[in-house]
Amino acid sequence: MVAAVASDHAVRGSTLTLREVSHRFNFEGQPLPVLDRISLQVGRGEFVALLGPSGCGKSTLLRLVAGLDTPTAGSLLTEGREIEAPDPSRVVVFQDPTLYPWRTVWSNVALGLEARGLLRTHRGRIEDALRLVGLTGFANAYPHQLSGGMAQRAALARALVNDPKLLILDEPLGQLDSLTRIAMQAELVALWQRSSFTALLVTHDVEEALLLAGRVIVLSDRPARIKAEVINSQPYPRHRGDPHFVELRREVFEHLGLDEAW
Amino acid sequence: MAAAWLVVAALTAFWPDKPESDWTYTGSFAIACAVLAVALALATFAGGRFVAFQRLQRLSPWLFALALFFAAWEAVTAKRGLLPLPFFPPPQAILEVAIDDWGRLAEGIFASARLLASGYFIGAAVGFVTGVAIGWSRLAGYWIHPVLRFIGPLPATAWLPLAFFVFPSSFSASIFLIALATGFPVTVLTWSGVACVKSAYYDIARTLGATQRFLVLKVAIPAAMPHVFVGLFMGLGNSFAVLVVAEMLGVKAGLGWYLQWAQGWAAYANMYAALLVMALLCSGLITLLFRLRDRLLSWQKGLVRW
Ligand SMILES: Nc1ncnc2c1ncn2[C@@H]1O[C@H](COP(=O)(O)OP(=O)(O)OP(=O)(O)O)[C@@H](O)[C@H]1O
Ligand SMILES: [Mg+2]
Repeated sequence: MVAAVASDHAVRGSTLTLREVSHRFNFEGQPLPVLDRISLQVGRGEFVALLGPSGCGKSTLLRLVAGLDTPTAGSLLTEGREIEAPDPSRVVVFQDPTLYPWRTVWSNVALGLEARGLLRTHRGRIEDALRLVGLTGFANAYPHQLSGGMAQRAALARALVNDPKLLILDEPLGQLDSLTRIAMQAELVALWQRSSFTALLVTHDVEEALLLAGRVIVLSDRPARIKAEVINSQPYPRHRGDPHFVELRREVFEHLGLDEAW
Repeated sequence: MAAAWLVVAALTAFWPDKPESDWTYTGSFAIACAVLAVALALATFAGGRFVAFQRLQRLSPWLFALALFFAAWEAVTAKRGLLPLPFFPPPQAILEVAIDDWGRLAEGIFASARLLASGYFIGAAVGFVTGVAIGWSRLAGYWIHPVLRFIGPLPATAWLPLAFFVFPSSFSASIFLIALATGFPVTVLTWSGVACVKSAYYDIARTLGATQRFLVLKVAIPAAMPHVFVGLFMGLGNSFAVLVVAEMLGVKAGLGWYLQWAQGWAAYANMYAALLVMALLCSGLITLLFRLRDRLLSWQKGLVRW
Protein backbone atom coordinates (compact mmCIF):
# COMPACT_ATOMS: atom_id res chain seq x y z
CA MET A 1 0.00 0.00 0.00
CA VAL A 2 0.96 3.59 -0.58
CA ALA A 3 0.69 4.39 3.08
CA ALA A 4 3.64 2.13 3.74
CA VAL A 5 5.78 4.23 1.40
CA ALA A 6 4.90 7.37 3.32
CA SER A 7 7.48 7.02 6.06
CA ASP A 8 8.56 4.83 8.87
CA HIS A 9 6.72 6.84 11.53
CA ALA A 10 3.41 6.28 9.80
CA VAL A 11 1.88 5.62 13.22
CA ARG A 12 1.17 9.32 13.51
CA GLY A 13 -1.79 9.35 11.14
CA SER A 14 -5.12 8.19 12.51
CA THR A 15 -7.57 5.71 11.07
CA LEU A 16 -11.05 6.64 9.94
CA THR A 17 -14.07 4.39 9.65
CA LEU A 18 -17.45 5.33 8.19
CA ARG A 19 -20.25 2.84 8.81
CA GLU A 20 -23.38 3.24 6.73
CA VAL A 21 -23.36 7.00 7.16
CA SER A 22 -26.52 8.72 5.93
CA HIS A 23 -27.42 12.35 6.30
CA ARG A 24 -30.51 14.42 5.60
CA PHE A 25 -31.13 18.15 5.66
CA ASN A 26 -34.43 19.90 6.03
CA PHE A 27 -34.91 22.07 3.03
CA GLU A 28 -38.10 24.15 2.81
CA GLY A 29 -39.88 21.71 5.08
CA GLN A 30 -38.92 18.70 2.97
CA PRO A 31 -36.28 16.19 3.97
CA LEU A 32 -33.35 16.45 1.59
CA PRO A 33 -31.27 13.27 1.62
CA VAL A 34 -27.66 14.15 0.96
CA LEU A 35 -25.62 11.11 1.96
CA ASP A 36 -26.79 7.57 1.37
CA ARG A 37 -25.19 4.78 3.40
CA ILE A 38 -21.56 5.65 2.86
CA SER A 39 -19.12 3.11 4.22
CA LEU A 40 -15.44 3.72 4.03
CA GLN A 41 -12.30 2.51 5.73
CA VAL A 42 -9.27 4.77 5.66
CA GLY A 43 -6.00 3.37 6.95
CA ARG A 44 -3.30 5.08 8.97
CA GLY A 45 -1.44 7.60 6.82
CA GLU A 46 -3.50 6.88 3.72
CA PHE A 47 -4.33 9.61 1.19
CA VAL A 48 -7.91 9.28 -0.04
CA ALA A 49 -9.64 11.56 -2.53
CA LEU A 50 -13.38 12.04 -2.84
CA LEU A 51 -14.60 12.92 -6.29
CA GLY A 52 -18.15 13.78 -7.18
CA PRO A 53 -20.45 16.24 -8.94
CA SER A 54 -21.17 19.63 -7.41
CA GLY A 55 -23.77 19.58 -4.67
CA CYS A 56 -23.64 15.82 -4.12
CA GLY A 57 -22.71 16.09 -0.45
CA LYS A 58 -18.92 16.06 -0.26
CA SER A 59 -18.63 19.06 2.03
CA THR A 60 -21.40 17.63 4.18
CA LEU A 61 -19.45 14.40 4.58
CA LEU A 62 -16.33 16.31 5.57
CA ARG A 63 -18.26 18.27 8.20
CA LEU A 64 -19.38 14.97 9.70
CA VAL A 65 -15.83 13.68 9.76
CA ALA A 66 -14.68 16.91 11.41
CA GLY A 67 -17.33 16.43 14.09
CA LEU A 68 -19.11 19.71 13.32
CA ASP A 69 -22.39 17.88 12.58
CA THR A 70 -23.74 14.50 13.56
CA PRO A 71 -25.08 12.13 10.90
CA THR A 72 -28.77 11.25 10.70
CA ALA A 73 -27.82 7.56 10.66
CA GLY A 74 -24.69 5.46 10.82
CA SER A 75 -21.51 6.13 12.69
CA LEU A 76 -18.09 7.64 12.17
CA LEU A 77 -15.08 6.43 14.09
CA THR A 78 -11.50 7.49 14.37
CA GLU A 79 -9.03 5.23 16.07
CA GLY A 80 -12.03 3.07 16.91
CA ARG A 81 -13.73 5.83 18.88
CA GLU A 82 -16.92 7.58 17.85
CA ILE A 83 -16.51 11.11 16.48
CA GLU A 84 -18.72 13.32 18.64
CA ALA A 85 -17.18 16.75 18.59
CA PRO A 86 -14.47 18.64 16.73
CA ASP A 87 -10.95 17.86 17.82
CA PRO A 88 -7.73 19.63 16.88
CA SER A 89 -6.23 16.32 15.77
CA ARG A 90 -8.65 16.49 12.80
CA VAL A 91 -8.09 19.77 11.04
CA VAL A 92 -10.23 21.00 8.18
CA VAL A 93 -9.25 23.25 5.31
CA PHE A 94 -12.65 24.55 4.27
CA GLN A 95 -13.71 25.21 0.71
CA ASP A 96 -14.07 28.88 1.57
CA PRO A 97 -10.87 30.13 3.24
CA THR A 98 -12.78 32.23 5.85
CA LEU A 99 -9.85 33.99 7.42
CA TYR A 100 -10.70 36.27 10.33
CA PRO A 101 -10.68 39.75 8.79
CA TRP A 102 -9.57 41.37 12.05
CA ARG A 103 -6.42 39.28 12.29
CA THR A 104 -3.29 39.53 10.20
CA VAL A 105 -2.20 36.52 8.16
CA TRP A 106 0.27 35.66 10.88
CA SER A 107 -2.26 35.63 13.68
CA ASN A 108 -4.80 33.82 11.52
CA VAL A 109 -2.25 31.07 11.10
CA ALA A 110 -1.55 31.24 14.82
CA LEU A 111 -5.22 30.63 15.63
CA GLY A 112 -5.04 26.93 16.42
CA LEU A 113 -1.92 27.24 18.57
CA GLU A 114 -3.46 30.16 20.42
CA ALA A 115 -6.71 28.31 21.02
CA ARG A 116 -4.82 25.42 22.56
CA GLY A 117 -2.38 27.59 24.49
CA LEU A 118 0.63 26.40 22.50
CA LEU A 119 1.60 29.74 21.01
CA ARG A 120 4.51 30.36 23.36
CA THR A 121 6.15 27.02 22.78
CA HIS A 122 5.39 26.45 19.09
CA ARG A 123 5.65 29.97 17.69
CA GLY A 124 8.30 28.92 15.15
CA ARG A 125 5.86 26.66 13.36
CA ILE A 126 3.95 29.67 12.07
CA GLU A 127 6.95 30.94 10.12
CA ASP A 128 7.50 27.44 8.72
CA ALA A 129 3.91 27.10 7.59
CA LEU A 130 3.93 30.54 5.98
CA ARG A 131 7.14 29.72 4.15
CA LEU A 132 5.66 26.46 2.96
CA VAL A 133 2.70 28.19 1.31
CA GLY A 134 4.83 31.09 0.06
CA LEU A 135 3.34 33.85 2.19
CA THR A 136 6.36 34.85 4.24
CA GLY A 137 6.25 38.44 2.96
CA PHE A 138 2.58 38.78 3.84
CA ALA A 139 2.66 37.83 7.50
CA ASN A 140 1.44 41.27 8.51
CA ALA A 141 -1.15 41.69 5.76
CA TYR A 142 -4.85 41.71 6.56
CA PRO A 143 -7.09 39.26 4.67
CA HIS A 144 -8.69 42.01 2.60
CA GLN A 145 -5.26 42.70 1.19
CA LEU A 146 -4.86 39.16 -0.16
CA SER A 147 -5.94 37.63 -3.43
CA GLY A 148 -8.34 34.68 -3.40
CA GLY A 149 -5.52 32.20 -3.97
CA MET A 150 -3.36 33.75 -1.28
CA ALA A 151 -6.23 33.55 1.17
CA GLN A 152 -6.60 29.87 0.36
CA ARG A 153 -2.91 29.29 0.93
CA ALA A 154 -3.16 31.13 4.25
CA ALA A 155 -6.03 28.84 5.22
CA LEU A 156 -3.88 25.85 4.34
CA ALA A 157 -1.08 27.20 6.54
CA ARG A 158 -3.56 27.75 9.37
CA ALA A 159 -4.41 24.04 9.23
CA LEU A 160 -0.85 22.79 8.85
CA VAL A 161 0.61 24.49 11.94
CA ASN A 162 -1.55 22.22 14.07
CA ASP A 163 0.28 19.11 12.97
CA PRO A 164 -2.95 17.15 12.43
CA LYS A 165 -3.34 13.40 12.53
CA LEU A 166 -6.11 13.64 9.97
CA LEU A 167 -6.07 16.47 7.46
CA ILE A 168 -9.43 17.15 5.84
CA LEU A 169 -9.14 19.15 2.64
CA ASP A 170 -12.20 20.59 0.90
CA GLU A 171 -11.01 21.74 -2.52
CA PRO A 172 -8.10 23.55 -0.91
CA LEU A 173 -6.51 24.48 -4.20
CA GLY A 174 -9.69 25.45 -6.00
CA GLN A 175 -8.89 29.13 -6.45
CA LEU A 176 -5.25 28.81 -7.40
CA ASP A 177 -3.89 29.38 -10.89
CA SER A 178 -2.68 26.22 -12.63
CA LEU A 179 1.00 26.90 -11.98
CA THR A 180 0.66 27.60 -8.27
CA ARG A 181 -1.71 24.70 -8.11
CA ILE A 182 0.83 22.27 -9.49
CA ALA A 183 3.45 23.60 -7.09
CA MET A 184 1.06 23.30 -4.13
CA GLN A 185 0.08 19.77 -5.13
CA ALA A 186 3.73 18.78 -5.03
CA GLU A 187 4.08 20.53 -1.66
CA LEU A 188 1.07 18.68 -0.28
CA VAL A 189 2.46 15.32 -1.32
CA ALA A 190 5.87 16.16 0.13
CA LEU A 191 4.27 17.33 3.34
CA TRP A 192 2.11 14.26 3.61
CA GLN A 193 5.11 11.99 3.01
CA ARG A 194 7.10 13.86 5.61
CA SER A 195 4.46 14.21 8.33
CA SER A 196 2.58 11.03 7.48
CA PHE A 197 -0.87 12.24 8.51
CA THR A 198 -3.98 10.66 7.07
CA ALA A 199 -5.47 12.85 4.34
CA LEU A 200 -9.01 13.10 3.05
CA LEU A 201 -9.26 15.34 0.02
CA VAL A 202 -12.33 16.56 -1.80
CA THR A 203 -11.77 17.83 -5.30
CA HIS A 204 -13.52 18.38 -8.61
CA ASP A 205 -10.31 17.83 -10.48
CA VAL A 206 -9.80 14.24 -11.61
CA GLU A 207 -6.11 14.74 -12.31
CA GLU A 208 -5.56 16.29 -8.90
CA ALA A 209 -7.23 13.34 -7.23
CA LEU A 210 -5.08 10.85 -9.14
CA LEU A 211 -1.87 12.82 -8.65
CA LEU A 212 -2.24 13.05 -4.90
CA ALA A 213 -4.27 10.15 -3.62
CA GLY A 214 -3.63 6.49 -3.28
CA ARG A 215 -7.33 5.81 -3.57
CA VAL A 216 -10.00 7.80 -5.39
CA ILE A 217 -13.61 7.36 -4.25
CA VAL A 218 -16.12 8.31 -6.92
CA LEU A 219 -19.45 9.53 -5.53
CA SER A 220 -22.80 9.57 -7.29
CA ASP A 221 -25.16 12.50 -7.69
CA ARG A 222 -27.14 13.59 -4.59
CA PRO A 223 -27.83 11.67 -2.46
CA ALA A 224 -24.19 10.63 -2.61
CA ARG A 225 -23.41 6.92 -2.71
CA ILE A 226 -20.04 5.37 -3.34
CA LYS A 227 -20.05 4.54 -7.02
CA ALA A 228 -16.57 3.27 -7.54
CA GLU A 229 -13.12 3.13 -6.07
CA VAL A 230 -9.97 3.58 -8.15
CA ILE A 231 -6.62 2.69 -6.66
CA ASN A 232 -3.46 4.41 -7.79
CA SER A 233 -0.39 2.73 -6.37
CA GLN A 234 2.13 4.52 -8.59
CA PRO A 235 5.06 6.01 -6.68
CA TYR A 236 5.38 9.77 -6.28
CA PRO A 237 6.04 12.08 -8.02
CA ARG A 238 3.48 11.04 -10.58
CA HIS A 239 3.34 12.33 -14.13
CA ARG A 240 0.26 13.28 -16.04
CA GLY A 241 1.62 11.91 -19.32
CA ASP A 242 2.44 8.47 -17.94
CA PRO A 243 0.44 5.80 -19.86
CA HIS A 244 -0.81 4.14 -16.68
CA PHE A 245 -1.92 7.53 -15.33
CA VAL A 246 -3.81 8.27 -18.56
CA GLU A 247 -5.50 4.89 -18.31
CA LEU A 248 -6.58 5.56 -14.71
CA ARG A 249 -7.90 8.97 -15.66
CA ARG A 250 -10.00 7.44 -18.41
CA GLU A 251 -11.34 4.95 -15.92
CA VAL A 252 -12.35 7.66 -13.42
CA PHE A 253 -14.03 9.72 -16.11
CA GLU A 254 -15.95 6.63 -17.13
CA HIS A 255 -17.20 6.20 -13.56
CA LEU A 256 -18.27 9.83 -13.55
CA GLY A 257 -20.22 9.15 -16.72
CA LEU A 258 -18.16 11.46 -18.85
CA ASP A 259 -16.40 9.00 -21.13
CA GLU A 260 -17.71 10.44 -24.37
CA ALA A 261 -17.00 14.00 -23.39
CA TRP A 262 -13.29 13.91 -24.06
CA MET B 1 -6.29 85.03 3.92
CA ALA B 2 -4.09 87.03 6.26
CA ALA B 3 -5.31 90.17 4.54
CA ALA B 4 -8.92 89.21 5.10
CA TRP B 5 -8.33 88.90 8.82
CA LEU B 6 -6.46 92.20 8.82
CA VAL B 7 -9.54 93.77 7.25
CA VAL B 8 -11.70 92.32 10.02
CA ALA B 9 -9.31 93.78 12.60
CA ALA B 10 -9.27 97.22 10.94
CA LEU B 11 -13.03 97.21 10.57
CA THR B 12 -13.48 96.39 14.23
CA ALA B 13 -10.94 98.95 15.42
CA PHE B 14 -11.64 101.96 13.21
CA TRP B 15 -15.34 101.83 12.42
CA PRO B 16 -16.76 103.29 15.58
CA ASP B 17 -19.30 101.22 17.47
CA LYS B 18 -22.90 102.30 17.28
CA PRO B 19 -23.47 105.18 19.73
CA GLU B 20 -24.82 104.30 23.19
CA SER B 21 -23.13 100.89 23.16
CA ASP B 22 -20.42 100.04 25.64
CA TRP B 23 -18.48 97.09 24.31
CA THR B 24 -15.37 97.11 26.39
CA TYR B 25 -13.59 94.45 24.38
CA THR B 26 -13.82 95.94 20.90
CA GLY B 27 -10.12 96.73 21.01
CA SER B 28 -9.22 93.26 22.24
CA PHE B 29 -11.22 91.62 19.51
CA ALA B 30 -9.49 93.77 16.91
CA ILE B 31 -6.12 92.85 18.36
CA ALA B 32 -7.02 89.15 18.37
CA CYS B 33 -7.96 89.34 14.68
CA ALA B 34 -4.78 91.25 13.89
CA VAL B 35 -2.66 88.69 15.72
CA LEU B 36 -4.32 85.92 13.78
CA ALA B 37 -3.66 87.83 10.55
CA VAL B 38 0.01 88.27 11.39
CA ALA B 39 0.32 84.62 12.35
CA LEU B 40 -1.21 83.54 9.06
CA ALA B 41 1.04 85.91 7.13
CA LEU B 42 4.12 84.58 8.92
CA ALA B 43 3.01 81.04 8.23
CA THR B 44 2.65 81.86 4.55
CA PHE B 45 6.14 83.35 4.30
CA ALA B 46 8.05 81.04 6.56
CA GLY B 47 6.12 77.83 6.60
CA GLY B 48 6.42 76.67 2.97
CA ARG B 49 8.61 73.79 3.93
CA PHE B 50 6.51 72.35 6.72
CA VAL B 51 3.82 69.73 6.45
CA ALA B 52 1.62 71.68 8.85
CA PHE B 53 1.61 74.51 6.36
CA GLN B 54 0.07 72.27 3.68
CA ARG B 55 -2.74 71.45 6.02
CA LEU B 56 -3.20 75.12 6.68
CA GLN B 57 -3.42 75.73 2.96
CA ARG B 58 -6.20 73.22 2.64
CA LEU B 59 -8.03 75.15 5.34
CA SER B 60 -7.53 78.53 3.75
CA PRO B 61 -10.93 78.74 1.99
CA TRP B 62 -12.50 78.09 5.36
CA LEU B 63 -10.37 80.66 7.14
CA PHE B 64 -11.36 83.16 4.48
CA ALA B 65 -15.04 82.37 4.85
CA LEU B 66 -14.76 82.71 8.63
CA ALA B 67 -13.17 86.14 8.22
CA LEU B 68 -16.11 87.18 6.04
CA PHE B 69 -18.50 85.80 8.61
CA PHE B 70 -16.90 87.70 11.47
CA ALA B 71 -16.79 90.90 9.45
CA ALA B 72 -20.48 90.61 8.64
CA TRP B 73 -21.35 89.72 12.22
CA GLU B 74 -19.34 92.65 13.54
CA ALA B 75 -21.02 94.98 11.04
CA VAL B 76 -24.63 94.06 11.72
CA THR B 77 -24.25 93.97 15.51
CA ALA B 78 -21.74 96.33 17.09
CA LYS B 79 -21.40 98.73 14.18
CA ARG B 80 -24.88 99.18 12.74
CA GLY B 81 -27.03 97.58 15.40
CA LEU B 82 -29.27 95.92 12.83
CA LEU B 83 -29.99 92.88 14.98
CA PRO B 84 -31.93 93.31 18.21
CA LEU B 85 -30.03 93.27 21.48
CA PRO B 86 -29.58 91.50 23.78
CA PHE B 87 -30.38 88.43 21.69
CA PHE B 88 -27.59 88.97 19.18
CA PRO B 89 -24.41 90.24 20.86
CA PRO B 90 -21.31 91.11 18.79
CA PRO B 91 -18.24 88.85 18.74
CA GLN B 92 -16.39 91.01 21.24
CA ALA B 93 -19.12 90.33 23.79
CA ILE B 94 -18.42 86.62 23.53
CA LEU B 95 -14.73 87.30 23.85
CA GLU B 96 -15.59 89.31 26.92
CA VAL B 97 -17.37 86.32 28.43
CA ALA B 98 -14.50 84.03 27.60
CA ILE B 99 -12.06 86.34 29.32
CA ASP B 100 -14.11 87.54 32.27
CA ASP B 101 -16.16 84.48 33.05
CA TRP B 102 -13.73 81.71 32.14
CA GLY B 103 -13.61 80.46 35.70
CA ARG B 104 -17.26 79.60 35.75
CA LEU B 105 -17.14 78.19 32.21
CA ALA B 106 -14.21 75.97 33.09
CA GLU B 107 -16.04 74.79 36.19
CA GLY B 108 -19.01 73.96 33.95
CA ILE B 109 -16.85 72.07 31.49
CA PHE B 110 -15.30 70.08 34.30
CA ALA B 111 -18.64 69.23 35.90
CA SER B 112 -20.19 68.21 32.58
CA ALA B 113 -17.19 66.14 31.58
CA ARG B 114 -17.19 64.30 34.89
CA LEU B 115 -20.87 63.50 34.67
CA LEU B 116 -20.74 62.52 31.02
CA ALA B 117 -17.67 60.36 31.41
CA SER B 118 -19.03 58.45 34.41
CA GLY B 119 -22.44 57.90 32.83
CA TYR B 120 -21.10 57.03 29.41
CA PHE B 121 -18.50 54.54 30.59
CA ILE B 122 -20.89 52.78 32.93
CA GLY B 123 -23.58 52.67 30.24
CA ALA B 124 -21.22 51.49 27.52
CA ALA B 125 -19.68 48.80 29.71
CA VAL B 126 -22.99 47.46 31.00
CA GLY B 127 -24.49 47.65 27.50
CA PHE B 128 -21.57 45.80 25.99
CA VAL B 129 -21.64 42.99 28.53
CA THR B 130 -25.42 42.66 28.30
CA GLY B 131 -25.27 42.66 24.50
CA VAL B 132 -22.68 39.89 24.46
CA ALA B 133 -24.69 37.89 26.98
CA ILE B 134 -27.92 38.12 24.97
CA GLY B 135 -26.12 37.39 21.72
CA TRP B 136 -24.30 34.41 23.14
CA SER B 137 -26.49 32.73 25.71
CA ARG B 138 -29.98 31.61 24.99
CA LEU B 139 -30.91 31.82 28.64
CA ALA B 140 -29.75 35.42 28.94
CA GLY B 141 -31.61 36.20 25.73
CA TYR B 142 -34.80 34.68 27.10
CA TRP B 143 -34.76 36.81 30.24
CA ILE B 144 -33.21 40.04 29.12
CA HIS B 145 -34.65 40.45 25.64
CA PRO B 146 -38.26 41.18 26.70
CA VAL B 147 -37.10 43.69 29.30
CA LEU B 148 -34.97 45.36 26.70
CA ARG B 149 -37.82 45.50 24.23
CA PHE B 150 -40.16 46.96 26.76
CA ILE B 151 -37.94 49.52 28.44
CA GLY B 152 -35.27 50.23 25.86
CA PRO B 153 -37.25 52.42 23.46
CA LEU B 154 -38.42 54.66 26.30
CA PRO B 155 -36.43 57.92 26.13
CA ALA B 156 -34.07 58.06 29.07
CA THR B 157 -35.36 61.52 29.98
CA ALA B 158 -38.75 60.01 30.79
CA TRP B 159 -37.13 58.51 33.89
CA LEU B 160 -36.03 61.91 35.03
CA PRO B 161 -38.70 62.66 37.63
CA LEU B 162 -38.46 59.16 39.06
CA ALA B 163 -34.66 59.12 39.04
CA PHE B 164 -34.39 62.38 40.92
CA PHE B 165 -36.25 61.11 43.93
CA VAL B 166 -35.13 57.49 43.89
CA PHE B 167 -31.42 58.30 43.79
CA PRO B 168 -29.72 59.86 46.80
CA SER B 169 -28.26 62.74 44.80
CA SER B 170 -29.10 64.43 41.56
CA PHE B 171 -25.57 63.62 40.42
CA SER B 172 -26.05 59.87 40.76
CA ALA B 173 -29.51 60.17 39.20
CA SER B 174 -27.97 61.90 36.20
CA ILE B 175 -25.30 59.24 35.88
CA PHE B 176 -28.05 56.65 35.84
CA LEU B 177 -29.93 58.51 33.11
CA ILE B 178 -26.88 59.01 30.94
CA ALA B 179 -25.88 55.37 31.40
CA LEU B 180 -29.37 54.32 30.40
CA ALA B 181 -29.32 56.49 27.28
CA THR B 182 -25.93 55.09 26.30
CA GLY B 183 -26.59 51.53 27.31
CA PHE B 184 -29.60 50.82 25.15
CA PRO B 185 -28.07 51.37 21.70
CA VAL B 186 -24.81 49.75 22.80
CA THR B 187 -26.68 46.67 24.03
CA VAL B 188 -28.80 46.28 20.93
CA LEU B 189 -25.94 46.75 18.50
CA THR B 190 -23.53 44.53 20.41
CA TRP B 191 -26.19 41.87 20.52
CA SER B 192 -26.90 42.09 16.81
CA GLY B 193 -23.16 42.12 16.15
CA VAL B 194 -22.66 38.92 18.10
CA ALA B 195 -25.76 37.33 16.58
CA CYS B 196 -24.65 37.86 13.00
CA VAL B 197 -21.15 36.46 13.32
CA LYS B 198 -20.77 33.94 10.51
CA SER B 199 -21.10 30.39 11.76
CA ALA B 200 -18.10 29.49 9.63
CA TYR B 201 -15.95 31.57 12.01
CA TYR B 202 -17.04 29.37 14.89
CA ASP B 203 -16.59 26.17 12.86
CA ILE B 204 -13.00 27.05 12.12
CA ALA B 205 -12.16 27.86 15.72
CA ARG B 206 -13.93 24.74 16.96
CA THR B 207 -12.04 22.40 14.64
CA LEU B 208 -8.83 24.02 15.87
CA GLY B 209 -9.64 23.17 19.46
CA ALA B 210 -11.14 26.43 20.75
CA THR B 211 -12.92 26.52 24.11
CA GLN B 212 -16.19 28.38 24.69
CA ARG B 213 -14.24 31.15 26.31
CA PHE B 214 -12.03 31.49 23.26
CA LEU B 215 -15.08 31.55 20.98
CA VAL B 216 -16.59 34.43 22.92
CA LEU B 217 -13.47 36.48 23.54
CA LYS B 218 -11.49 35.86 20.40
CA VAL B 219 -14.16 35.20 17.77
CA ALA B 220 -17.55 36.64 18.68
CA ILE B 221 -16.40 39.91 20.22
CA PRO B 222 -13.84 40.96 17.61
CA ALA B 223 -16.25 40.02 14.83
CA ALA B 224 -18.96 42.14 16.47
CA MET B 225 -16.76 45.20 17.01
CA PRO B 226 -17.90 47.18 13.95
CA HIS B 227 -21.49 46.91 15.21
CA VAL B 228 -20.44 47.77 18.74
CA PHE B 229 -18.91 51.01 17.51
CA VAL B 230 -22.11 52.01 15.77
CA GLY B 231 -23.80 51.53 19.14
CA LEU B 232 -21.12 53.55 20.89
CA PHE B 233 -21.63 56.43 18.48
CA MET B 234 -25.38 56.40 18.92
CA GLY B 235 -24.95 56.15 22.67
CA LEU B 236 -22.62 59.14 22.72
CA GLY B 237 -25.17 61.24 20.81
CA ASN B 238 -27.92 60.21 23.23
CA SER B 239 -25.75 60.88 26.22
CA PHE B 240 -25.17 64.49 25.14
CA ALA B 241 -28.89 65.11 24.96
CA VAL B 242 -29.55 63.58 28.35
CA LEU B 243 -26.57 65.36 29.89
CA VAL B 244 -27.92 68.80 28.97
CA VAL B 245 -31.43 68.03 30.12
CA ALA B 246 -30.24 66.51 33.39
CA GLU B 247 -28.04 69.49 34.10
CA MET B 248 -30.79 71.95 33.36
CA LEU B 249 -33.36 70.22 35.50
CA GLY B 250 -31.43 68.54 38.26
CA VAL B 251 -27.73 68.97 38.78
CA LYS B 252 -27.06 72.61 39.40
CA ALA B 253 -23.72 72.53 37.63
CA GLY B 254 -22.21 71.99 34.22
CA LEU B 255 -22.60 73.58 30.85
CA GLY B 256 -26.29 72.79 30.54
CA TRP B 257 -26.96 74.54 33.80
CA TYR B 258 -24.76 77.45 32.72
CA LEU B 259 -26.87 77.78 29.57
CA GLN B 260 -30.03 77.85 31.61
CA TRP B 261 -28.57 80.30 34.05
CA ALA B 262 -27.35 82.63 31.27
CA GLN B 263 -30.75 82.59 29.70
CA GLY B 264 -32.37 83.39 33.02
CA TRP B 265 -30.23 86.50 33.35
CA ALA B 266 -30.70 87.40 29.70
CA ALA B 267 -26.92 87.06 29.37
CA TYR B 268 -27.06 85.96 25.78
CA ALA B 269 -23.37 86.41 25.16
CA ASN B 270 -22.70 83.89 27.94
CA MET B 271 -25.18 81.54 26.35
CA TYR B 272 -23.46 81.71 22.99
CA ALA B 273 -20.12 81.19 24.62
CA ALA B 274 -21.43 78.10 26.43
CA LEU B 275 -22.99 76.78 23.24
CA LEU B 276 -19.71 77.24 21.41
CA VAL B 277 -17.80 75.41 24.13
CA MET B 278 -20.36 72.64 24.13
CA ALA B 279 -20.18 72.23 20.37
CA LEU B 280 -16.40 71.99 20.56
CA LEU B 281 -16.62 69.48 23.39
CA CYS B 282 -19.17 67.20 21.70
CA SER B 283 -17.44 67.35 18.36
CA GLY B 284 -14.13 66.67 20.08
CA LEU B 285 -15.52 63.60 21.83
CA ILE B 286 -17.00 62.23 18.62
CA THR B 287 -13.66 62.77 16.91
CA LEU B 288 -11.95 60.96 19.74
CA LEU B 289 -14.28 58.00 19.36
CA PHE B 290 -13.64 57.95 15.61
CA ARG B 291 -9.91 57.91 16.27
CA LEU B 292 -10.32 55.00 18.65
CA ARG B 293 -12.38 53.11 16.10
CA ASP B 294 -9.92 53.77 13.28
CA ARG B 295 -7.24 52.38 15.53
CA LEU B 296 -9.09 49.28 16.67
CA LEU B 297 -10.77 48.51 13.36
CA SER B 298 -7.90 49.36 11.06
CA TRP B 299 -8.47 45.94 9.48
CA GLN B 300 -11.74 47.10 7.96
CA LYS B 301 -11.60 48.68 4.57
CA GLY B 302 -13.66 51.64 3.48
CA LEU B 303 -14.10 53.26 6.90
CA VAL B 304 -15.97 56.56 6.92
CA ARG B 305 -13.65 59.45 7.67
CA TRP B 306 -14.87 61.96 10.22
N1 LIG C 1 -27.26 23.55 6.13
C1 LIG C 1 -27.92 23.04 5.08
N2 LIG C 1 -29.27 23.04 5.04
C2 LIG C 1 -29.93 22.54 4.01
N3 LIG C 1 -29.34 21.99 2.94
C3 LIG C 1 -28.00 21.95 2.91
C4 LIG C 1 -27.22 22.48 3.97
N4 LIG C 1 -25.93 22.32 3.65
C5 LIG C 1 -25.90 21.72 2.46
N5 LIG C 1 -27.14 21.48 2.00
C6 LIG C 1 -27.48 20.82 0.75
O1 LIG C 1 -26.77 19.61 0.71
C7 LIG C 1 -26.34 19.34 -0.59
C8 LIG C 1 -24.87 18.99 -0.57
O2 LIG C 1 -24.13 20.10 -0.17
P1 LIG C 1 -22.54 20.04 -0.10
O3 LIG C 1 -22.09 21.39 0.31
O4 LIG C 1 -22.16 18.90 0.75
O5 LIG C 1 -22.15 19.77 -1.61
P2 LIG C 1 -20.70 19.55 -2.23
O6 LIG C 1 -20.66 18.15 -2.72
O7 LIG C 1 -19.66 19.95 -1.30
O8 LIG C 1 -20.75 20.51 -3.48
P3 LIG C 1 -19.58 21.39 -4.11
O9 LIG C 1 -18.69 20.47 -4.84
O10 LIG C 1 -20.29 22.31 -5.05
O11 LIG C 1 -18.92 22.10 -2.99
C9 LIG C 1 -26.66 20.56 -1.42
O12 LIG C 1 -27.74 20.22 -2.26
C10 LIG C 1 -27.08 21.59 -0.45
O13 LIG C 1 -28.16 22.33 -0.95
MG1 LIG D 1 -18.38 21.55 -1.16
